[in-house]
Amino acid sequence: MPPPENAVALVTGGTRGIGAAITKRLQEDGYTTVTLGRTSGDVQADIGDPESVQAAFDKVRSEYGPVCVLVNNAGERRDGLTIRMSVEDWEAVIDTNLNGAFHCTRRALDDMLKARWGRIVNVSSVVALHANPGQSNYGAAKAGMLSLTRTVAREMARKGITCNAVTPGVIETDMTTDVIDKLVAGVPAGRVGQPEEVAHAVSFLCSEGAAYVNGATLAVDGAMAA
Amino acid sequence: MAVTEQDVLEEIRNQLKEIKVPGAESATPGDTWSELDVDSLDLVELVKALEDRFDITISDDDLKPIESVGAAIDLTMRLADEKEGSPA
Repeated sequence: MPPPENAVALVTGGTRGIGAAITKRLQEDGYTTVTLGRTSGDVQADIGDPESVQAAFDKVRSEYGPVCVLVNNAGERRDGLTIRMSVEDWEAVIDTNLNGAFHCTRRALDDMLKARWGRIVNVSSVVALHANPGQSNYGAAKAGMLSLTRTVAREMARKGITCNAVTPGVIETDMTTDVIDKLVAGVPAGRVGQPEEVAHAVSFLCSEGAAYVNGATLAVDGAMAA
Repeated sequence: MAVTEQDVLEEIRNQLKEIKVPGAESATPGDTWSELDVDSLDLVELVKALEDRFDITISDDDLKPIESVGAAIDLTMRLADEKEGSPA
């Protein structure tokens, strides 16, 4: 069964880095894409705030169409050793990366259930599987996304809705410029990944051919977590 | 215009058909969800459809004791009546 004709692909944090590459790729795949950002993007929302997310989804639905593809990509990093990490930094990262994915997933499922077709891809991280000192908040949020992914997959599987995750490794974006040289030494592939390589994996998971791939975590990390 | 029992029953039958419940067209108020093999996720779909069709909001507390088609009809009619009676 194909996606509905007016189906919208919503990419959170879709204006920069990996999100921008995913948005571009889904456009090439034929989707009407909508980017959601805090201050930029086609529609604005604070994804850590459920009411703000509800308002944004209402706007997307009325102005573009039902959300049948959701890519939970928005994320932020506030690194620091756990012993020195402020509660504010912990909560802010959990709010954006994990709570944000939950709020957006909940709203998107309304449209997907009606359409009996949906694709959710959660952009997690290699640090969800392979701990990185200084990123307890980020790692916990990204690991939480993997559990959210599997649970939603099981809950919605018989409704034509899939929920999968990708775990990018060291990807060359604005968000990683400060740490990229240090991290590349730990990548078996011997190089950093490009945002387009993550977008390619997301595109596959959103495709009709991936209808039976559900609850999976696809590593896009040059074998970093292998 | 007041919502009738038949209106709600028809909507429930339509939705059960969409959910692919066998015998949806002949579901009666006496049928329970377990008899119809309607699970919690099916019920979420059914509730969304009733909310959209009759412009009501069904809370989790309202939904908890609802175990049959007839109970869903009564609840929907009550909520629709309350809405109609309340100031706009």
